[in-house]
Amino acid sequence: MSEFKVNHRDGEGFSVLELKGYLDAHTAPDLETTFQKLLTDKKFNIIVNCKDLTYISSAGLGVFMAYIEDVRKNRGDIKLTNMSPKVYNVFDLLGFPVLYEIYKDEQEAATKFRQQMKKG
Amino acid sequence: MSRIKKAATLIVSGVLLLLVFMYDVVRLTVELGDTGFLFLRELAVVAVMVGAFLLMRDYARKGIGAAIKETGRLLIVMVASLVVAAGTGMLAGIGFSEGGASSMPQNSVTAFFSLVVSLVVGTASIQTILTIKELVYHKRKRGTRRNFLTYVVLLLATAGFSLPVFSNDLAILGTTTFVLAVIMIVVNSFRQNWIVFLSRREKIYCIIYSALLFGTFLALSLVLSNRTFLQKAVLFFSVPLERFVLLNSMYGAVYFGMAFITTLFHLPTAEAYERKQSELSSLHNLGRLVTQVFDFNDLVRTVTHMTREVSGARSAWLELIRQEPAGMRVEVVSANNIDESVIRTVMEGTEFSPRQFVMESKKALMIDDVGADRRTRHLKGRGLSIGSLLSVPLVSHGSLVGILHATKEISYGFDQDDSDVLTTLADHVTIAIENARLIEQSLERERLKQELMVARDVQKRLLPDRFPENPAMDVSAHSEPSLEVGGDYFDFVHLDEQTVGIVVGDVSGKGVSAAFYMAEVKGIFQSLSKMTRSPRELLIWANETLRENLERKAFISAVYAVFELATGRVVLARAGHCPMVLISRRSNRLIRPNGLGLGLTDGELFEQSTEETVLTLAEGDVCLFYTDGITEARNGEGREFGYDRLVELATEAKDLPAMEIQNRILSEIGAYCGSSGPEDDLTLVVVKWLGKRPKDSKVHQGDHHE
Repeated sequence: MSEFKVNHRDGEGFSVLELKGYLDAHTAPDLETTFQKLLTDKKFNIIVNCKDLTYISSAGLGVFMAYIEDVRKNRGDIKLTNMSPKVYNVFDLLGFPVLYEIYKDEQEAATKFRQQMKKG
Repeated sequence: MSRIKKAATLIVSGVLLLLVFMYDVVRLTVELGDTGFLFLRELAVVAVMVGAFLLMRDYARKGIGAAIKETGRLLIVMVASLVVAAGTGMLAGIGFSEGGASSMPQNSVTAFFSLVVSLVVGTASIQTILTIKELVYHKRKRGTRRNFLTYVVLLLATAGFSLPVFSNDLAILGTTTFVLAVIMIVVNSFRQNWIVFLSRREKIYCIIYSALLFGTFLALSLVLSNRTFLQKAVLFFSVPLERFVLLNSMYGAVYFGMAFITTLFHLPTAEAYERKQSELSSLHNLGRLVTQVFDFNDLVRTVTHMTREVSGARSAWLELIRQEPAGMRVEVVSANNIDESVIRTVMEGTEFSPRQFVMESKKALMIDDVGADRRTRHLKGRGLSIGSLLSVPLVSHGSLVGILHATKEISYGFDQDDSDVLTTLADHVTIAIENARLIEQSLERERLKQELMVARDVQKRLLPDRFPENPAMDVSAHSEPSLEVGGDYFDFVHLDEQTVGIVVGDVSGKGVSAAFYMAEVKGIFQSLSKMTRSPRELLIWANETLRENLERKAFISAVYAVFELATGRVVLARAGHCPMVLISRRSNRLIRPNGLGLGLTDGELFEQSTEETVLTLAEGDVCLFYTDGITEARNGEGREFGYDRLVELATEAKDLPAMEIQNRILSEIGAYCGSSGPEDDLTLVVVKWLGKRPKDSKVHQGDHHE
C-alpha cells in the first residue's frame, strides 16, 4: 500500500498543507487530524497543495467536505492547488470545482487570500 | 503375609511358648543340669521372637508418609509395655529368690508373669527397631542402609553370644559387639532427615513425642541395667532377649533424644520451610492458569485463591483495567474472602488510594502497618481487619492491565519475599488473562463475521435480480463489494411500458457505513422515480433528501438514465458519477453532463450545476454504466485500469450480447488486478440497444449474483 503524508507549514496569513501519496479510506484519518488541529488553532485560511498527491478516493474527498463548512463559517477557506490532471479529474467528476477554488499554484491561492483579507 | 501364614505363625508361637512355660515350671522344682533341653528352650524363644518380628513387620509397612503417626504409635506401645512391666512387678506373691548367678522365680506364677512381661517388652523392642528403621531410611543416602544393618548384625551378635549354651569365654566377644553396637547407635542417631519434612504442627507433636520416648527408653534402659523385677524376669526368660531389649532401649533413648534436639532446632524455621513448600507447589500450579483460559471466571477465581496460598494472605482480590472510549475503567473481577464494600472503602480514600498509586507508578505497593502509615491512617478503627496490604501491578507490553491485591490482618504481615513471589505470580496471571482475552476476541470476531455474512445476503437482496427484457434492449448487470458489504447500488425502474430507468450509484467510503447509505439511496430512488420522469429533477430531489441525512464527509455519486424504448431517446443526468461510456458505430464517447455529487451542497448550487443530456441510440450501440471500482482498479504496480482500456475493451466486444460484453470486461479487470483482487466495490451495467420496437416490456430472470 502506498504511503500518505501531510506536511504542514504556515505562510503569511494562511497555512499550507502539502499532501503526498495515496489518500484513501485508510489514510484519510491522517488528513482529518491535521485539519482538526488547524481548526483548533483557529487557522482557517488553508491552502492544500496537491503537487505530490498521486491518488484520492471518495473517502479522501470526504475529508474536505467534513471541514469546509466550519472553515467558511469562520470566514476562512480551503483552496486547492497544484493538482495533477488525474487528481483534478476525480475532483472534477464530483463537481468540486463548483464548491472549491482550485488554483494552478500556491502563489495564486495566496494572492487570493490576501485580497479577501483586505476586503474583509 | 497371607492370613493363613499369620494364623500358623501365631499358633506355632503359642505352642512353643506353652512348652517353654512347662519346661520352666519343671525347672523350678527339679534341678535340671541338662543343657540340651536348655538349648532347645532358647531356640524356641528365638523362634517365637522371629515369629513376632514377621507379624509386626507386616503391620509396620505403611510408608513414611505418616512418620509422626508411627512415632506416636511407638510411644503408646512403649508406655503401655512399661506400665505392664511395672504393674506386674507390683503384683502380690511374685518374687525372685536371690542366690547364685541368676535369680530364680519363687513360684510358677512368677515364672508365668516373667514370660508375659518378657514377651511384652520383647515385642515392644521389635516395634522400636522397626519404627526407627523407617525413620532412619527416610531420604536415605548411600551409607544409611549399611550403617543400620551393621547395627542390626551387632545387635543380633550381642544377643547370640549371650546364649547360656556358650561358655563364658565368649563373654568378651559379647562385650565387644555390645560396645560396637552402642557406637553404631550413636552413628545411626544422626539420621534425622524425616524431621525436616514435618509440618510445623507435626514438629510440635514431634517434640512432645520424642521427649516422652526419650524418657521412656531411658527408664527402660535403667530398669534393665539394675536388679529390678523386670531385669530378673527377662533374664530368667531369655538372656539374649535381655541384651536385645537393652540395646534397643538404648538406641531408642539416644535416637529420640537426638530427634528432640533436632526438632527443637528446626522449629523456628518450620514456618518458613512450610511457606517455601507451598510457594513452590503454587508456582508449579501456575500451569493450571494456562489451561483455564477458556473460562474467564474460573481463571480469576484461581488467581485470587493462589494469591492467598502463596502469600499466606487473609484476603485477596484482582482488579482489571479496561480501556474504554470514556477512559480507563477498573473492575474487581474476583475477590477472595473480602467484601466489595471493604474494597471500596480501601480504594476510594480521599487522599490516597493503593489503586491510584499502582496505576500511576506501575510498581508494587507494600503498606506494612495500615493503621499507622500516614497514607492509610484514615482506615484505622473501621473494622476492616486489614493490618498490612500488598498490591502488585499486572503489566503487559508496558501497559497496566490490572492490579492484584492481598491483605493480612496483622501489621508487617508481608515481606520482600511475598512481594517477589506475588510479582512472579502477577506475570503469569498477566499472560493467562491476555490469552483469555485473545480467545474472547477471536470468538467475538467470528461472531461479527457471521453477522457480516448475514448483512451481505441482505444487501444482495436489495439489488435487482430481474433485468429489463424487451425487444429494444439487452441488459446485463453485476455488482461485487470489496468487503462483505459495500456502497455500490444499481437498479432498474419501469416507468411505464415504453420507458425504463437505469440508475447506478456509489456511496463514498466502503464497508458497513456505506452499506447503510446504499440501502437508503435505494429507498429514495424507488420512491422518487414514481414522482418524476426527469433524471435531473430526480437527482435534485434526491440531493435535498440526502443532504439532511448524510454525515458531513459522506456523499453519493449517481447517474440516472431514462430510456424511451420506442424511439431510442435517452435522457441522462449525472450527480458527480463516472461518465457513461457510449460505444456507437461511428464513435466512442464519454457522456458527461455537468453535475455535483449528492449530499455535497445545498439545493440551489446543486440545481445550477446539474444538467441533463439527451441522446438517441442506434441499433448496436452499447452503453456502460459503472462505478469507479472499474476504472480505478489497480494492478500490482499501482497503475489504474483507466477509461481508455475500458472503452477499448467494450469496442472490441460491442457485437457480443450484453452479458458477454460484461463478462469480458470483468474477467479482464480480474486478470489486471492479479491475486490481490479489486480494492473497491465494483459495479457494471451493460445496455445493448437492439432497436426493435417493443409490443410491451417485461423483465426476465437475471443471474448477476456472484
